[in-house]
Amino acid sequence: MSEFRTVARLEEIPDNGLHPVELDGVSIVLASSEGEVLALRDQCSHEEFPLSDGELVNGQVECILHGARFDLRTGAAKALPAVRPVKTYECRVVDGEIQVRL
Amino acid sequence: MADGIMTRPDTVGDPQILAERRQAAWDEYRSLPMPTRKSEEWRYTDLAHLDPEAFEHIVDAVVAPEPAATDDLPGAVRDVLAGSDSRGGTMIEIDGGVARLELDSAWVEAGVIFAPIALLAEQRPELLERFLFSSDVAPMERKLWALHVAALSGGYVLYVPENTHIDDPVHIIRWLSRAGVMVSTHSLIIVERGAQVTVIDEFMSEDLEGEAKSLNGVEVFGGDGALVNYLALQRFGAGVKHFSMQHANTPRDCTLNSFNVSLGADLARCDVTSHLLGPGSDSEMLALWFGGRGQHFDYHTLQHHAAPHARSDLLFKGALTDRADSVFRGLIRVDEGAQLTDAYQTNRNLLLSPDSEATTLPSLEIAADDVKCSHGATVGQVDEHQLFYLTSRGLTRAQAERLLVFGFFGEVLARMPVDSVRERMTDAIERKIGI
Amino acid sequence: MPKNETVDQLGLDEYKYDFRTEDAPVYKAEKGLSEEVVRQISAHKDEPEWMLEFRLRALEIFYSKPMPDWGGDLDTLNLDEIYFYLKPQDQMERSWDDVPENIKETFERLGIPEAERKILAGVGAQFESEMVYHSLKEEWEEQGIIFESIEDGLRKHPEIFREYFATIVPPADNKFAALNSAVWSGGSFVYIPKGVKVDIPLQAYFRVNAEQMGQFERTLIIVEDGAEAQYIEGCTAPVYTTESFHSGVIEIIVKPQARFRYTTIQNWSNNMYNLVTQRSMVHEDASMEWVDGNLGSKLTMKYPSCFLVGDRAHGEILSIAYAGDGQHQDTGGKVVHAAPETTSLIVSKSISKGTGRSSYRGLCKVYEGAVGSKSNVECDALLMNETSRTDTYPYIEIDENQSSIGHEASVSKVGEEQLFYLMSRGMSEEQAMTMIVRGFIEPIAKELPLEYAIELNRLIELEMEGSVG
Repeated sequence: MSEFRTVARLEEIPDNGLHPVELDGVSIVLASSEGEVLALRDQCSHEEFPLSDGELVNGQVECILHGARFDLRTGAAKALPAVRPVKTYECRVVDGEIQVRL
Repeated sequence: MADGIMTRPDTVGDPQILAERRQAAWDEYRSLPMPTRKSEEWRYTDLAHLDPEAFEHIVDAVVAPEPAATDDLPGAVRDVLAGSDSRGGTMIEIDGGVARLELDSAWVEAGVIFAPIALLAEQRPELLERFLFSSDVAPMERKLWALHVAALSGGYVLYVPENTHIDDPVHIIRWLSRAGVMVSTHSLIIVERGAQVTVIDEFMSEDLEGEAKSLNGVEVFGGDGALVNYLALQRFGAGVKHFSMQHANTPRDCTLNSFNVSLGADLARCDVTSHLLGPGSDSEMLALWFGGRGQHFDYHTLQHHAAPHARSDLLFKGALTDRADSVFRGLIRVDEGAQLTDAYQTNRNLLLSPDSEATTLPSLEIAADDVKCSHGATVGQVDEHQLFYLTSRGLTRAQAERLLVFGFFGEVLARMPVDSVRERMTDAIERKIGI
Repeated sequence: MPKNETVDQLGLDEYKYDFRTEDAPVYKAEKGLSEEVVRQISAHKDEPEWMLEFRLRALEIFYSKPMPDWGGDLDTLNLDEIYFYLKPQDQMERSWDDVPENIKETFERLGIPEAERKILAGVGAQFESEMVYHSLKEEWEEQGIIFESIEDGLRKHPEIFREYFATIVPPADNKFAALNSAVWSGGSFVYIPKGVKVDIPLQAYFRVNAEQMGQFERTLIIVEDGAEAQYIEGCTAPVYTTESFHSGVIEIIVKPQARFRYTTIQNWSNNMYNLVTQRSMVHEDASMEWVDGNLGSKLTMKYPSCFLVGDRAHGEILSIAYAGDGQHQDTGGKVVHAAPETTSLIVSKSISKGTGRSSYRGLCKVYEGAVGSKSNVECDALLMNETSRTDTYPYIEIDENQSSIGHEASVSKVGEEQLFYLMSRGMSEEQAMTMIVRGFIEPIAKELPLEYAIELNRLIELEMEGSVG
C-alpha cells in the first residue's frame, strides 16, 4: 500500500463542505463533516459525474446530477439512482495538512 | 486551432467553389458550439477530446504528378493491392494526398470520371456545384461535418454516366502514415440513371506511436433506377480516432446499399444515413465490427423514409472482447405520407469478455400508418449449450468460441457483395479473434 | 360486445368523468409557484422543520434544472397559471358519511363507496391537494398493515417515514421530482409488515376538480420481507379549456421475498399534463410489477422503473397507452439490473388514433457483476390513421457479458385482411375495428382487475366510435 500524502490544507475545505483534489491522476473529493475529513473517489457511481459539484446533506454526499447519495465512511449508495458504492480512501489530518493514502 | 491553418483556411490553390464552401464551413464550425455528452447524439463519444488544435492539419494535400511506383507503397497497401480484384479503378491516397489513381481506359471512354475533387472542380464545376457537401446533415452532426469540410485534405469524385454498369469494384485505399496529424477525406459518388457501381473505401494504417485523427465524409447520389454498393473497411491501427459521416441519397427505384466493417482504430464513430427520397427506393445497410483492447465503436444510423413505397433493411452486428465497448444508436424515421414503407432494423451484440460493454438504442419515429416497421436488438454471450456441444465433439473451448463468433458474423458476411473482400475480412477477423 | 350492438347504444358520454362540483375549498394558495407557497403548504400540514427544509431545498433544485428537451412538448405548460395547493376540507375522514356532500357526490359518481362495498382491503380518496378519506378494513389493520395518507404517515410513523422517504426518488432525480418534493401534498403511506399477505387490493382515487389545478401527490410504500400486496390507483378530472397539471412521485421498497404490484389507470381529462416519477427498489428474491394504463391526459411522461438490487430480484412492467386526437403518451419503463440472476420483462402496447402520438421510451441497464441477468422487452404499436404517430426509443446499456438482453418492437396498422374477415362475418367496420383493438391489448387488459378491464373495454368502444369512414 502506498504512503499517506498531503493533498490539501485543512483551511481549504469549508466546514461541512466538499473540496476536489487529485492524487496520481485519481480524482478525490474531500468532505469535511462534523470536524472530520473523509476522502472518496470524486465520481458518482451512477453517471460518473464529479461528486465535488454536489453537497453534503445529513452526513452524506449528494450528487448534484440526479440526487444519488453516498455514505461518507463506507461509500455505500444511500439513494437511487445509484446502486453501486464509490471507493473511499484512508484520510488523516496532520498539522493542518490533509493526507490521503490511495 | 493552430494559426495559419484553421484560423484562416488556406484556400490558395483551391478552385473557387471549393474555397467558398470551405470558408462557409469554417464560419459554420466557428459559430456552432462543440456538442457535449449532454446531447443524446454525443452521449457516448466525448468530442471534447477531438481537440483539433493539437493536430497538424493536412489541408490541400498534393496530387502526385507521377503515380507512385508499387515498390514505394507501404507494405500493407501492396498486400491489399495484390489481393484486390478491383479492375474497375484504383486510387491510393496517402495522408489525404493522391499517390496513384487509375481507371480502366474502357471506362474513361464510357465517360466515367474518377478524379480528385480539386481536379473535377476545373473540369466539371456544375457537378460539384450541384452535389458536393449537399447532403442533409443532421443538426447535431453539423459541427463535425463543418470541420470535415473546412479541413478537407483531399478526396475523390466518382461519376458514372447513365446506364453504365461498372462490373468490377472501384477500390480506394486510404493510408495514414503518422501520428500527430488530422486528415479529412471525402468520397463523392454520383451515379446517373440506370448506372451501377461497387465502391470500396478502405482505411488503413500501422499501429501509431501517438494519436492521429481521420475525418471522412461520404456522399452517394443515385439517379433513378441506379444501383450502388458502397463498402467502407476501417482497418486503422492503434492510435487513430476515426469519424465517418456517410450519406446515401436515393431517388425513385434506386438502390443504395452500404456495408461497414470496423476492425481498427482506438475510436471509430460512424454515422450512416440513408435518405430514401423516391418511391421504390431501397437501401440495405449492413455492418459488422469486432472490438478488442479498449476500442470504442459508436454507430449512429438513420433510415429516413421521406417517400412512400420505399424499403430499408439494416443489420448491424458487433462482437467485443477485452475492454472494448460499442454503441449502436439507430433510428427509422417515417415521414407523414410515406405510406407502404417497409423498414427493418436489427442490432445484435456479442460480449466475449467480462469488461466489454455494449449499448444499443434502436429507435422508431413513425408518422404514417400504413407501414411495416420493426426493430430488434439483443446483447448476449456465446451460447453455453452450443459451446458445450462443440467441446464435447472434440474442439477446444477456444476453437469452439471462434467458430461461434464466425457463425455470428456469417449472417452479415454472407451478404457481402464482393467475394475477395469477404475473404480478406474473414481473414482479418480471424487474426483479430486470435482465440 | 354482441355483434348487433353498436357503440352508440352503449350510451357512453364522450368523457364520462367530465363533471365538476362547486369549488368550496377551505384554503387556496395563490396562483403560481413561490417560496411563500411552499412555506404555506408546509404550515398547513404542521410539519417537522426538516420537511420544510427538504421542500425549500427541492424548490431550489427545481429552479436550477432545465426543462427536459426530450419527450413531449412542454411549451404550453405555464406554471404561473397553476394553483399549487388547494385544501378542500379541514380534516381527513375515516367514515364516508362525514365527507362533505359536494366531494362525496363526486366520488359517488366515480363509484368509490360502491367499490369499497366490494372486496377492497382499503380505500383512499384524494380531492385536489388532500386526501379527504382513508379507510382500511379492520382485519388488515389488526395484522399491522398501515394504509394512511402520506401526511398521517409522516405524523404517526416518523421513523419509518424518514428512513425511506426520498431515497428512491431524490429531489434532484429530475426537474419534476424536484417540483413534487417542494410542493407535495396528499398520496398514500403504505406499510405491509413482514410475512403479511393481502390478496385483495388497496385502492386510491385521485380527483382533480378545480380549474388550473396542480396535484402533487407523494406515495411511499414499504413491503417487508415475504409480504405480498397490491395497490391500484385511478385518476380523473373534468375537462377545462385551460391546462391542469399532475406531477406525482411514487416510491416503493420491496424487501426480500416480497411481492408487490402497482396498477395505474390514468384517465385524466385531455387538458392535463401528467408528469410522474414512479420507481421501485427490489431486493433479493422479491418481485415488483407495474401495470400502467395511460388513456387520458394531454401529455403524459411516465416511465415506471424497477431497480433490481438483490440477487434473483424480478421486475415487470406492463404498459398500455392510448393516444387519441391531440394526445401524446410518452410512456414506457426502466429496469436496472444491479445484482446477479435478476430478471425483467417489459411489454408495451400502444394505440395511436387521429392526431394522437404514442412514444415508448425505455431503459434496460445491466451493471457489471449482474451475472446471469435476463431481460426482454417487447413493444407493439398500432396506428389507426394516417395522421397518427408512434415512436420507440429503447436504451439498452449492457456492462456484463454473462447476461441476455432482447428488445423487439413492431409497428402496424389494423390489418385489412382481419377487417375484411370480421366484416364478412356480419360485423360493421366499427365493430370489427373495436374487436381488433381489443385483441391487441388483451395481453395487458387481462392483468387488470375486472372493473378496470371492463372500463378499458368500454373506453375502446367509445374511442372507436366514429373512427371509421
